Amino acid sequence: MNNEAVKDSNETTRPGPDQEKARPVFVHPIEAIFARILDFYGVAWEYEPRTFPLEWDAQGNVTVAFTPDFYLPQQNLYIELTTLRPKLTLKKNRKMKRIKELYPEINIKIYKRRELRNMMLRFGLVEEAEKIFGTEAQNWDE
Amino acid sequence: MNSEENELADDIQQVFLTAEEIQRRVAELGQQISHDYRGKNPILVGALRGVICFMADLLRSITIPLEVDFIAVSSYSKESRDQGLVRVVKDLDRPVTGRHVIFVEDVIDTGLTLNYLMNNLRARQPASLEVCVLFDRNMRRLIDLPLRYKGFNLPDYFVVGYGLDHHERYRNLPYVGILKPEVLFARSKDSG
Repeated sequence: MNNEAVKDSNETTRPGPDQEKARPVFVHPIEAIFARILDFYGVAWEYEPRTFPLEWDAQGNVTVAFTPDFYLPQQNLYIELTTLRPKLTLKKNRKMKRIKELYPEINIKIYKRRELRNMMLRFGLVEEAEKIFGTEAQNWDE
Repeated sequence: MNSEENELADDIQQVFLTAEEIQRRVAELGQQISHDYRGKNPILVGALRGVICFMADLLRSITIPLEVDFIAVSSYSKESRDQGLVRVVKDLDRPVTGRHVIFVEDVIDTGLTLNYLMNNLRARQPASLEVCVLFDRNMRRLIDLPLRYKGFNLPDYFVVGYGLDHHERYRNLPYVGILKPEVLFARSKDSG
């Protein structure tokens, strides 16, 4: 959910429901739920396949980077999930703005707290929805 | 208004779309479809169960000959996820090969179900396949698909009524309302 450092981009692809899958280790429980939903609907996904450098120091070293949680190859869409309270999303919003400035060719969408909660409710995942809005939400996130 | 109606209405924080607003827009969609499909005898395919109110009103606002059919798929839930993939639980009663199909849906949200159903219907080789949706909540869209006919954009509030439910409740409200937050979880616990 939050990746300050540049990660190795060892791609983890979910090619399809019929194939054996090695589940990645998800940083956050909501990501595991999201992945299960995508699997259920047969949508291919990759978990944190690419890191986007956002800021560099004078020597050209990357100082700030951003790794979206998911990539949907068929939709060419990156997805970032956050369960942070709105007032705590400033840093993430800044990163989202920056990534769009530096990489205008990519499609990226952020799913925020309320959107995730309502999505969970629509899928009948009441406990998960409650966690997003409850005190555990902050522990769930970065 | 009887006590049951009161009970449902009491759970609504705010009416988002009145019954009149919905009826007016549905009539416009019906007129548009009547114009576009003249002489084509389309089949309207609805995805159960949320579509029932919309389908019933849409059908009656279309003035050309048509046929209607329904399909239902399993939705994601804690129970269904263990069964693997989404699947058709009620198939169409008649073939749509070579026919002009209008897929009718109450709400498009992530697009996951729509994507599955469009692939399913496309595989049956209809002459044409278009989507008619009453409510579009596109901020949560994961899979973008062209929506030829669209009624309203929905904000990201948890809304119920006119076919939209919360644990199978509120579908019969004639309007669309925002559910009170305290009901959202209380009702979930009651029924869960």
